[in-house]
Amino acid sequence: MYSAGRMLKKFQYIILLVLLIVGGCGEPPATDGSTPAKIYRHAMDGAPGSLDPAQAASLYANFLVVNLYDTLYRYKYLARPYQLQPNLATAMPEVSDDGLRLTIRIKKGVYFNDDPAFEGGLGREVTARDFVYSIKRHFDPGTRAQGAWLWQQRIEGLDRWKTEGSDYDQEVAGLRAVDDYTIEITLTRPFPQFVYTLAQGYAAIVAREAVEKYGQELSNHPVGSGPFRLVSRDSIRAVLTKNPDFRAEPFKLEDEGYDPASQGELGLEALQNKIPPFVDQLEIEFIVEDAARWNAFLAGELHYIKVPVRQFDTVLSQRDPPKLSPLFEDVYNFEASPEAGFIYTNFNMADERIGYHSDPIQNHRNHALRCAMVKAFDWKKRNEIFFYGIGRVFPGIIPTAVSEYDPDGDRAYIQRDLQAARDLLQANGWNEENLPVLDYGFPNSVTERQAFEQYRNFMVEIGYPVEKIRPMIFATYGDYQRAYSQGKVTLINSSWTMDYPDAENIMQLYYGPNAAPGSNSANYNNPVYNRLYETSSTLNESPERTRIYREMNQLLIDDCVSIAGISRTLLFLWDKKVIMQPDRSFLGGYFMRFVDLVEPSATP
Amino acid sequence: MTRTTWQRLKADRYGMSGLLIVLFFTVVALSVWIGLLGQGWSEVSGNSWESISATHWFGTNLLGQDILQRTLFGAATAFEIGLIVTGFSILLGTVLGALAGWYSHSWLDEIILWLKGVLDSIPFYLFAAAVAFALQGNRWAMHLAMIITFWTTTARIVRGEVMRIKQREFIEAARAIGLPGITVVFRHVLPNTVHILLVQATIVFVVAIKTEVILSFLGLGIRDGVSWGLMLAESSQEVVAGQFGNFTAASVSLFIMLMGFNLFTDALQDALDTRRIMP
Amino acid sequence: MKKLPFLARKVLYGIPLLLGVTFVSFLLMVYFGPDKTYELLGKNPSAEQISEVRHALGYDRPFLLRYGDYLKELVTLNLGLSDSTGEAVSSILARTLPVSIALVLPGFVIGNILGLALGMLAAWYRGQWLDKLVMSASVVGMSLSFLVIIIILQILLSTPYGFNIFPVRGWQVVDLSSYLYYVTVPTLALLLVTLGYNTRFYRAVMVDEIERDHIRTLQAYGTSPAELLFKNVLKNSLIPVLTRIMFSVPFVIVSGSLLLESYFGIPGIGLVTVNAITSGDQPILKAVVGLTGVLFVLALMINDMLYSVVDPRVVSEQAVSKS
Repeated sequence: MYSAGRMLKKFQYIILLVLLIVGGCGEPPATDGSTPAKIYRHAMDGAPGSLDPAQAASLYANFLVVNLYDTLYRYKYLARPYQLQPNLATAMPEVSDDGLRLTIRIKKGVYFNDDPAFEGGLGREVTARDFVYSIKRHFDPGTRAQGAWLWQQRIEGLDRWKTEGSDYDQEVAGLRAVDDYTIEITLTRPFPQFVYTLAQGYAAIVAREAVEKYGQELSNHPVGSGPFRLVSRDSIRAVLTKNPDFRAEPFKLEDEGYDPASQGELGLEALQNKIPPFVDQLEIEFIVEDAARWNAFLAGELHYIKVPVRQFDTVLSQRDPPKLSPLFEDVYNFEASPEAGFIYTNFNMADERIGYHSDPIQNHRNHALRCAMVKAFDWKKRNEIFFYGIGRVFPGIIPTAVSEYDPDGDRAYIQRDLQAARDLLQANGWNEENLPVLDYGFPNSVTERQAFEQYRNFMVEIGYPVEKIRPMIFATYGDYQRAYSQGKVTLINSSWTMDYPDAENIMQLYYGPNAAPGSNSANYNNPVYNRLYETSSTLNESPERTRIYREMNQLLIDDCVSIAGISRTLLFLWDKKVIMQPDRSFLGGYFMRFVDLVEPSATP
Repeated sequence: MTRTTWQRLKADRYGMSGLLIVLFFTVVALSVWIGLLGQGWSEVSGNSWESISATHWFGTNLLGQDILQRTLFGAATAFEIGLIVTGFSILLGTVLGALAGWYSHSWLDEIILWLKGVLDSIPFYLFAAAVAFALQGNRWAMHLAMIITFWTTTARIVRGEVMRIKQREFIEAARAIGLPGITVVFRHVLPNTVHILLVQATIVFVVAIKTEVILSFLGLGIRDGVSWGLMLAESSQEVVAGQFGNFTAASVSLFIMLMGFNLFTDALQDALDTRRIMP
Repeated sequence: MKKLPFLARKVLYGIPLLLGVTFVSFLLMVYFGPDKTYELLGKNPSAEQISEVRHALGYDRPFLLRYGDYLKELVTLNLGLSDSTGEAVSSILARTLPVSIALVLPGFVIGNILGLALGMLAAWYRGQWLDKLVMSASVVGMSLSFLVIIIILQILLSTPYGFNIFPVRGWQVVDLSSYLYYVTVPTLALLLVTLGYNTRFYRAVMVDEIERDHIRTLQAYGTSPAELLFKNVLKNSLIPVLTRIMFSVPFVIVSGSLLLESYFGIPGIGLVTVNAITSGDQPILKAVVGLTGVLFVLALMINDMLYSVVDPRVVSEQAVSKS
């Protein structure tokens, strides 16, 4: 008889067991006898995917990559607003008068970590050619690189290099190593944000030998010249150890933008003139669930945490300005700062149900419907329930964190007005029967679902039938992106985290040519906006540019393109035994080399 | 179910309390479906985390929705899943099992066994995940995944029974007078397996409800609406912040419902005397 | 006996089953499965870049070719690299499988021994208060949801709301004490969720056996209960007991670890699989599903053969509930 059913599942596991025993791979990674003196234990709320700089798209991957690899520039540890500082470069770039040619010199005597990829297994010197190679990789279809969007159509000849077959031995006119220590870059048009892109993980410097030896596996086998080296990494943690050969550059408070008034309490003065990295080992836990992360922190397993919103009430004794509760005050330092980004819900303008319509009358009705929905949205309640009431709500897309923020902006846009919303619907002939069915998309998570239910409730209050706002849930973020990129989602709930501290990075979100599959998920296409964006794109931060940006913001508000926006207030808590100023935005992982412990730590 | 079975069932105190619980939840589910109860599951009717009061018997959740309304609606969701999954998986299992059993060792039997073997070899939660992906966004994805995997047990039982029964004399007689095989199966063989199917149905019901909880936690559960699984998924983040409303309501209701079904199943097995060595 | 033809037939049966399992898992996990393209794209991708990524991932290849590659990968055990981390899938499996086994083993062993003991006790005192107590407790156990048990145990043992003596998550096992530190709470959860089912099953087996005539006779002759239970009853019911134990293994490892690992943040195969689901990491998904299926079928074939050699009469059939 054949129907032995599940009987045999047993053997399957016996076989597996045997395989394991034979394979002898049952041992957990052993900690060696010499326990490092200083171990800093960090937690992130997500796990990095690839550690290949070319694929360092996520916050988490970027965080690790800038510690494992070198970049030409980095952000100053303590300066706020953020400022760039040479890292592997010797100085800020020398820029030609027309702003198109940049010359960057790099430090001598910097070596890659020893690795079998190199001749004799010894790390060789990092040269200008390595930088050129690392950037070119983004334009090689074989790399699965994700950073090309930063530089495409920007660097002379680089896009052509790709179409001509991505041959690394072929020179790119606008991206050259003049000699071992000099890089020359020619831009196609002025690109004021260019230097910022060189401080991103994408621009970190890899060795061609390592790429060629490890291929795709480079992402798990970093060969860099950064302040730390990777010891191990699995789905829940990464362990990094100090790179003893990292170039010895004494820490100078004044160079890092130290502000004694706001940072005087942190004990940073003790670090003056010491040589980073200060700790011997970094243990970085990836804990997605807020509850687990918080419990681990309370149990003393972590030195640092980004406090989950649900715990704000426990941690704070006062909301605005945030003040730490006495229970925590003695043991922990804290910082509350707005994120460098914001949350918003776009309408899909390419969808005739709610966006642009070829019939001008219908187009006008759709505009009214969108504006009514904007008015129906209750920012106060959203902020209260999901952000402990201390998120920063602002009209449009220019958040409080950037200098272009307009304190005199159109507050009515973020003011709930149910009556006005209902009137608007009525005046334009919208009623329960003819209101369109809308699909609200989100990647699966408890919080996203709650946010959806709240959103739907807001709309129900202006007479939108419950069953006409449908959830569209995706198991992976990628599938959600695909769906909205293909126009299948009407209400697109998104968040944007800025790549560099310049509002240009936000304004491009509604630039017509960036429409789906680009980052303009609203598929907004306003010729006036587009023209303003193009005019401003070569301008540096200036009153002139600020005026243009505010004008663009007002266009978005007038067109009711998005229910926007809010910047979350992030709350960091860290043990007073650790001397540091943590950061999660632009500085990101760069602060890890400056972390120090007051006393050597025992293992937990 | 014969009279003696009912007599025996009635004598079983635990079984009867189980039945009462099941009936109670059936009434709740029906009331939700016809619009008497739980209609306010989505509506925000209070502030965040209100405690128990006359207006909110179980308090409110983060958004200020009434937890009692959501719990009641969750009961209907559980029943919907239980009924659909049980109904279709038993039906599918019975038909395929009967065919396989009647035509045992024929090519049809082999194909059905092959299908069953294939489905049994794939880890269930992964299978459910895969079906959820394949039918992305479809509200029946989870139901379908369960039906496709749960029918195999029923089919195996029915196949065995049919193979046993078809040797009996009255079946031989029916065939002798020239009734086509398929008629014999459906008219004479299957009725003799009803008692087993009944017990199997209650077991599948319980398994389906339990599975929904886990699938919802993994994010592969129901789309719109609310279920106890979703409430538990929410609560897993809330309990550390000291909010136990969702957790208590969902876990206690779930426990009582499952307890009711388990007690009833037990009593039913005793009454029908079908107890086999089945875990 | 015609053993050779029998064996040959088993092998022949195995092949369509193998093809079926791999085909279904390929169809669902890969062809209709999650799409990684958009996660691997930069912020403002062009249509050209999208097709480049799809090409790099092999999504643009014909269905049958992809299925063929998949079969080849399974046969050669060359499972490719994870789309997320770039690590070789085989090395991921080698790293995570031992963790998963170490995680579920204690709960599994204790759960069966305890279930057996309670089942024997209940069977021996059948109908008396002890039996009723054990049986009621087992119904309670069966009515608890795995998720609920996990949440309760975690609050009780790992948070300041309870005793706060065990870790909330993680797996830094270096020696026995750290092993116990990390494994205790998951083990308790596993025990609670399986004990009810185990006890009832073993009781039923024992009752069957105790009611046999020869046991009654022995009892009448005054053989001591302990001797009877262990020498006769347990020995005779060994086959269903062992079968049962073997049956539960897949449930415990595959399904059990999925939930336990994702809840307790334990880097085993369950967590890797859940992550692969939510990040669309197809190489991992198809390896996990395909290998489990293939090994299962292979084991099925071997088992049938072994049984036919050892005991040509019966192949016992048992059901295992899937919860």
